[in-house]
Amino acid sequence: MSVTEQWEPKIIGFCCNWCSYAGADLAGVSRLNYPTSIRVIRVPCSGRVNPVFILRAFQRGADGVLVSG
Amino acid sequence: MVAAAQHPNITLFTYAEVEKVEGYIGNFEVTIRQKARSVDHSKCTGCGTCWEKCPTKVLSEYNLGLGMRKAIYISFPQAVPNKPVIDRQHCRQFTMGKCGVCQKVCPAQAIDYQQEDQLVKEQVGAIVVATGYDLFEWEQAYGEYGYGRYPDVISGLQFERLNNASGPTGGKILRPSDGKEPKNVVFIKCVGSRDAAKGKEYCSRTCCMYTAKHAHQVLEKIPGSKVYVFYMDVRTPGKAYEEFYLRTVHEGARYIRGRVSKIYPEGDHLVVMGVDTLLGRPVEVAADLVVLATAMVPSKGSAEIARIVGFSTDQDGFFMESHPKLRPVETNTAGVFLAGACQGPKDIPDTVAQASAAAAKVCALFSHSEMAVDPMIAHVNQALCSGCLECKNVCPYRAIETATVTERVGGKTVERTVASVNTGLCQGCGACTVACRAGAINVKGFTNEQVLAEVDALCL
Amino acid sequence: MQRIGIFVCWCGLNIGAVVDMSRAVEAVSKFPGVVYATDYKYMCSEPGQEIIIQAVREHRLDRVVVASCSPRLHEATFRKTLARAGLNPYLLEMANIREQCAWVHQREPEKATQKAIELIRRAVSKVSKLEPLFESTIPVTKRALVIGGGIAGMQTALDIADAGYQVILVEREPTIGGKMAMLDKTFPTLDCSA
Repeated sequence: MSVTEQWEPKIIGFCCNWCSYAGADLAGVSRLNYPTSIRVIRVPCSGRVNPVFILRAFQRGADGVLVSG
Repeated sequence: MVAAAQHPNITLFTYAEVEKVEGYIGNFEVTIRQKARSVDHSKCTGCGTCWEKCPTKVLSEYNLGLGMRKAIYISFPQAVPNKPVIDRQHCRQFTMGKCGVCQKVCPAQAIDYQQEDQLVKEQVGAIVVATGYDLFEWEQAYGEYGYGRYPDVISGLQFERLNNASGPTGGKILRPSDGKEPKNVVFIKCVGSRDAAKGKEYCSRTCCMYTAKHAHQVLEKIPGSKVYVFYMDVRTPGKAYEEFYLRTVHEGARYIRGRVSKIYPEGDHLVVMGVDTLLGRPVEVAADLVVLATAMVPSKGSAEIARIVGFSTDQDGFFMESHPKLRPVETNTAGVFLAGACQGPKDIPDTVAQASAAAAKVCALFSHSEMAVDPMIAHVNQALCSGCLECKNVCPYRAIETATVTERVGGKTVERTVASVNTGLCQGCGACTVACRAGAINVKGFTNEQVLAEVDALCL
Repeated sequence: MQRIGIFVCWCGLNIGAVVDMSRAVEAVSKFPGVVYATDYKYMCSEPGQEIIIQAVREHRLDRVVVASCSPRLHEATFRKTLARAGLNPYLLEMANIREQCAWVHQREPEKATQKAIELIRRAVSKVSKLEPLFESTIPVTKRALVIGGGIAGMQTALDIADAGYQVILVEREPTIGGKMAMLDKTFPTLDCSA
């Protein structure tokens, strides 16, 4: 399959409420721009991210997973 | 000091250490070891006869080896409490089994060689850790300054003792080797600070200012004296600090920007070889006394305190605040707060400010008889829990405890150990849920099912 | 069967100028379990909260999704709104369509609208799995332990003691005062340190 210009990946982000989720909020407050392809799930700590969550995302068609904390 | 000792709400334990901390915010039980003083402080009047008559002399820790004390001693004349303890490592009654001089001369019969350590248990709701700092051991690292072989190369804190009216010289600046008044004094800053190769990477924050103070004191106390300060940068970020430094420069202190490469003795003085990087040439100064501004490091035993109380330290061993800007006096353990240089190098104004901030946090906690607990914390399904306690190993908050459940298996009653969550300690991070192979532990509000439902919804 | 209500906030023009509100509301009202969806200029304002409370009563909602700013900002606000409406405050889920959508995708309104819809779908999916939670309380022993009798420990102990609470001050050396008592004068005022 060739990657066309229109293709956009589907990325799931797991962000820690206390740091990177707040960082993502700060990106908004600062009016930074980034592609729409990432969707964030808030977790209480990156330690909360069970490997099963990541596998499930890939199973259901995610192209990338970002764990940040 | 006296205010703290006399305050009706303060119970003072000196010569004592915290040995164990159990419980959680609002409900700690601490065990304090009162070390045996060998002196009954309820009888002792602090008259001083015992330490006058004691035959054993020991180097005084309080004067950093610049003076002597007795085996039964008070640290300094204004000590609080102003009553002695016996140093059992050096007292002849303990090392050789005979002496008894202090017991014979004590008019109050306060000497008790049989006294033992006592363990005291106390219930508290909050803990403030304020264990301070020690000085970097430059003798181990700086061969070019003589590895501590030259008696007239001293630390800034030793200089303070020489300057202090209660110190070994009664406040006169006299050099340790021959007791003469030094005319040429060299100060070297950043000894162990800002030196990743030999010491610590960080700036100790106080040395620029106390060196300026020391330089001022030399010029004030010793007429005709000369002061040289070797520095890397002069950092004076504080109210009235820059003015203080400039005053010292105007009084005649010579600031030389550069490092010292070698100190060696020549006759009755020391030669300090360095470089003036502003002029771009080497310099040599004949010095009668050299004072090193050594780095601040966490106090001895601070790693042990962190382990006993249960919170984390940073890469340099200083105690870790919960957030450097927003939660500077909290630790990641609820109910445990930090004050002073144990959290990082700081001077007296900053220490006092942080101490009051920690006190305000404690008072806010104490303003209610009960505190609400966030319900979004871990919960164990004890029917599924196998009791492996992997969760306990990964919990950063020591919130996993054990419980015993009674079950009927095959007609028999059996007891089984399972995990249980302390709702006061749990912060809801969920690390336990990932470690649990049985899926028996979940975080309320962030359960496995809930997060998976989110993943599914986003991947449609 | 669950009865979920969705409340989409414009945040003035912060969200409203980027996300196509009528399209979003129409799309999210079709998600499973959703029985009511609406939008309003400022959901956190008093009239905005009143809309939520009225809708909970009229449509017998049992779970609420608020699509607006970051939950770090107004989650506590809307939990109180739910409590005022008679719901358990933990049956709320927020969709962050301001900081993590409208503000970072200002130049792509079409994609931002689609993303807002998906973020709300995530919130609906989660809210349907939420369970009521209840805050518990623990007692507080109003006594403090201060470890270390230097300037930091003494100041902390005195401040707490002055506020009327008992303090236990533990020092490992035979005297309190710590390093500070060893000093001569202290900068910049050259006060004595006793």
